[in-house]
Amino acid sequence: MPRPHWTLNRALAAAALLLGVVAIAGSPYRGSTVRIDTQELATIVDSKVDHITVQELADWIIQGRTDYRLIDLRSEVEYAAYHVPTAENVPVAQLPGYGLGRNEKIVLYSEGGIHSAQAWFLLRAQRYPGAYILFGGLEAWKGEVLYPVAPAAATPQEDATFERIAQVARFFGGGPRAAAVAADSGALMAMPATPGAGFEPPRAPAAGGPARPGAKKKRKEGC
Amino acid sequence: MSTVPDAAVAAARPQPGAPARAAAPYMNPYLGGIGLGFVLLAAYVVMGRGLGASGAVTSFVAWVVSLVAPGHASANQFFAEYLEGGLGHPLKTWLVFEVLGVLAGGFISGALAHRLSRTVEKGPRISVAGRLGFAFAGGALMGIGAKLARGCTSGQALSGGAVLNAGSWAFMMMVFAGAYALAGLMRRQWR
Amino acid sequence: MNAPFYKFAAFGDEASLVIAFVIGIGFGFFLERSGFGSARKLTSQFYLDDLAVFKVMFTAIVTAMLGVFYLSWLGIMDLSLVDLVSTSLWPQIVGGLVLGFGFVIGGYCPGTSLVAAVTGRIDGMVFVLGVLAGIFVFGEAFPLLRGFYESGDFGRLTLPQAFHLPYGLVVFLVVVMAVGGFMGAGWVERRFAPPAAER
Repeated sequence: MPRPHWTLNRALAAAALLLGVVAIAGSPYRGSTVRIDTQELATIVDSKVDHITVQELADWIIQGRTDYRLIDLRSEVEYAAYHVPTAENVPVAQLPGYGLGRNEKIVLYSEGGIHSAQAWFLLRAQRYPGAYILFGGLEAWKGEVLYPVAPAAATPQEDATFERIAQVARFFGGGPRAAAVAADSGALMAMPATPGAGFEPPRAPAAGGPARPGAKKKRKEGC
Repeated sequence: MSTVPDAAVAAARPQPGAPARAAAPYMNPYLGGIGLGFVLLAAYVVMGRGLGASGAVTSFVAWVVSLVAPGHASANQFFAEYLEGGLGHPLKTWLVFEVLGVLAGGFISGALAHRLSRTVEKGPRISVAGRLGFAFAGGALMGIGAKLARGCTSGQALSGGAVLNAGSWAFMMMVFAGAYALAGLMRRQWR
Repeated sequence: MNAPFYKFAAFGDEASLVIAFVIGIGFGFFLERSGFGSARKLTSQFYLDDLAVFKVMFTAIVTAMLGVFYLSWLGIMDLSLVDLVSTSLWPQIVGGLVLGFGFVIGGYCPGTSLVAAVTGRIDGMVFVLGVLAGIFVFGEAFPLLRGFYESGDFGRLTLPQAFHLPYGLVVFLVVVMAVGGFMGAGWVERRFAPPAAER
């Protein structure tokens, strides 16, 4: 019995055409624009909860943790010259489309703190709750992790504490510097060779664990 | 609208001890399409992805190959991509679970409509063996085509079509072109 | 309420598998409802007396397309987060052609063959085996095919971008094409209908 279908089909066709006509004026990418709650962001900035110190990061790397993604916001050249182990190179412009999950811990660093702060803001505005800034950036990494300054007139206890810091420094290819040298600042500290070739951060010692976070591959699923 | 499908349903099924209830007529294609469209929309709204089928079959193939010849599987770039990473087991993918749902949903609908029957769909002018031979060959071509195109009618044409993916639309048109091109040759199988 | 929910980490990967299953049920259900578990119905598309394939497929595409478009326009959904498979034009064109051949030779496509198999069609089951074989052959031949497979990469490309048209306009054109097609389909079916004796 075709007749009843015909009226229904006509109604459906009309509805579709109506929706189609109205659509001409539309813009489907409105959902991609961001809204910012300035109050909320200001509070977060003030309380500094979104900072990760370089020491914390060093510990994470040594422990072989895989629950974070470390993003190096500098250029490819700078990244190739040296980057913190486990870091992925993502220029700021490519950050939104890079495929970071909103349920991931994302640690951002740049040379100092400016670009990482800007990128943090970008991510935050797009409702990434897990964006963090590496406090002090690469500068702090160099000065405090890679080449920590040995305390000048140290007590044995301070020496002992510092020994661990020095171990960490050597682990990453750096080493402690004496207070005197450090005071004579402006001396450009030589960077260790690019980690990558020989130097693989301690996935092995730690858990002998699973692949690193960035490499937690999206397995190909096809369609 | 067209009465052919209903007649075809009733007449085409060979009746060796067939079920007593006659098969229900098919749903109005536009309503069926709307239903399908909403399912697809749900996938996009909930998951941000479309539907699929061939990908699940690929995961299965990759898995079987990895069981039989693990070294070979991981050395082969194509299979390896379906094996590593993800949630662990090669069969633990969104598509595999979706396909299991397809089987369930198809069965439920068939059962409700009394359209379950062990039969071979074919025209009157070809033998069962011939039909099955063509089914296998057609399936093989489908498998190859689907992998080349990164998807089949479900994944590419339907899903990609809805989000206006250029490649998907190109693909879809070629599917119709290819099928119509060969339809004359295959007439004996169906009519 | 931000969609796509998964992309906003509303739930995890394990939960998404359950969702996959549920969505799959809907998918399989409507495929079978529309008669797509039957090779004879599916291939009737190519003999022009039953264009259900065209009607169902394009109705589904239009429905989902309008849904995605309006939800995105209203800001409920973030279209930029929706997966868009990269366009590899040459393999997709050739693959489409090959798939079309397989469709009219085998009588099914992968999704519908599953529905057919589960409702008892033996040819559907054999078809699935064929798909497995085809994919296996492809995988084995992959090193040879790789160059072609990766050619024609246009990245994520939508029709509006390809033709430099506003998205909404393309949506409208697709709707017009579909509705026009449906009207034409009715005419074609009547024109090519088998003789009255067979009805």
